[in-house]
Amino acid sequence: MMEATVLYNVPHEVPWKVYIPLYFYFTGLSAGSFILSTLSTVFGIKRFKPMALPAAIISFLLLLLAPACLILDLQQPTRFWHTLVPEYFNRMSALSFGSWLLTAYPIANLIYIYYIFVKNDRVTRILGMITVPLAIFVHAYTGFAFALVRARAWWHSALMPGYFLTSALLSGIALLMVVALLVDKYRKEKLDPELFTSLRLMMVGILLVDLFWMGSFWLTLMVSTADGYASIWYALHEKLYVYGEIVAGMLVPLVLLVFPATRSSRMWLYVASLLIIGGVFLMRYSVVFIGYDIPLS
Amino acid sequence: MSKLVSPDGGTVPQEPSPTEETKSIDSGAPRPKRWGMLVDQRRCIGCHSCTVACKSENNVPLGYWRSWIKGLQKGVFPHVGTFFLRRLCNHCDVPPCVQVCPVQATVRREEDGVVVMYYGKCIGCGMCIAACPYDARFFNPIRRTADKCDFCVARIDQGLEPACVSACLTGALVFGDIDDPSSEISKKMASVGTEVIKPELGTKPKVFYIQADRDLMGRIKFSNDFNDEIMEYHKHIPSPDASYWKKGR
Repeated sequence: MMEATVLYNVPHEVPWKVYIPLYFYFTGLSAGSFILSTLSTVFGIKRFKPMALPAAIISFLLLLLAPACLILDLQQPTRFWHTLVPEYFNRMSALSFGSWLLTAYPIANLIYIYYIFVKNDRVTRILGMITVPLAIFVHAYTGFAFALVRARAWWHSALMPGYFLTSALLSGIALLMVVALLVDKYRKEKLDPELFTSLRLMMVGILLVDLFWMGSFWLTLMVSTADGYASIWYALHEKLYVYGEIVAGMLVPLVLLVFPATRSSRMWLYVASLLIIGGVFLMRYSVVFIGYDIPLS
Repeated sequence: MSKLVSPDGGTVPQEPSPTEETKSIDSGAPRPKRWGMLVDQRRCIGCHSCTVACKSENNVPLGYWRSWIKGLQKGVFPHVGTFFLRRLCNHCDVPPCVQVCPVQATVRREEDGVVVMYYGKCIGCGMCIAACPYDARFFNPIRRTADKCDFCVARIDQGLEPACVSACLTGALVFGDIDDPSSEISKKMASVGTEVIKPELGTKPKVFYIQADRDLMGRIKFSNDFNDEIMEYHKHIPSPDASYWKKGR
């Protein structure tokens, strides 16, 4: 075999800090809880009615955190408004669309919350119908921001926006499950036990979809370019990815939610939901930073 | 213009005569240029003069490089070789960094195809750094914006050549208009085989190489211990802001 040693090279620093995965996480949670809120107001599933207002409020609060994370990560935070100057708009850039969506969505969300609060069902339904696509696009654009980067095999995949959306829904539902369990514990009028069953079944379903995405990623990357193979090889040696994201964040909650002995217990539902919330954050984290671990020069 | 008829019936275009050239320039607007660079690795001795000239011309902060030389040593004594690769921004015709910039702070200039930065617009989001397949971009810690090689725009707009080309001792760097068939770079590129880095990405780079080594041009160095190399490679990426991620390595 030919011996070869790199004498010198100039790799550049990772430009992003932990705020970027945090931002993806918050928008994901927000979009997920918003869609859950519209299940009763738009899609007319009465069982989720008690969740409509808390879910929408949580979604709005997280939306205040998300752009803050994005601005904190900028090298020039005071120039964030440049993204909203129509003259600077770049129609090729997912981030350009994203910054407009991130401005429009919280406003629409706030109006929607007002109409739930005043119990005007008809207006809520119309507003919800307008805001649901916004919520989906706000999260899907982050998937596109990655999927459109041809430089990095770990990101450059058509599955990315779908994967981001389903895990956003998953984290949103898990957060709502925690909120619902807490509300049920401290409020006099109890929630319908059927609500927990449907939330649990939704979590199981989306977890299975997420596992399917993950398997597709592994298989395609393993027979992909040198970069793709390097990414998956590196990822499977990354303890945080294997034990944190996959085992603790997906497989353990899946077992807890399916196994008859644990699925009926409130305590185990708590544990599973919290594990899912943590696992989705680790998914964002590994998507961002494993992408940078494969050198390009 | 006179034409040569090639054996298969097509015509081979010939260089325009000097008089025709001046006539076309006088008659109308200047023809758009496409600046490009040819790096002749057969001539490169790895002296780093271009790196030094680049840093002093563009006032690049310590520890950061707009252009650099990658070095590689191969073989076992006595059969050894040292190879170099001059790295800089490739000034792609389809630049991934321009595509992702949310504020049009980096654009490909229509008049000469150079990918330039507008530092006053840049918000420092880092998306262009993530999207560059050549790792040619970085955050300038003093200016606090993205930064990269721009073919020394201030110099080429004045009719000078980039600082690295002026500094090159061996004439390994040739700079010129690749659309002009009578320029030095076009003549040289027509007579010798050239290659670009990562052509499969479709970015159409305008920095061309003669006899660059494949181990230097790729992303990952191929060898028998490929899998071990991947596990080693990330250690070379400095990431002070993400040190929590790298802890314990």
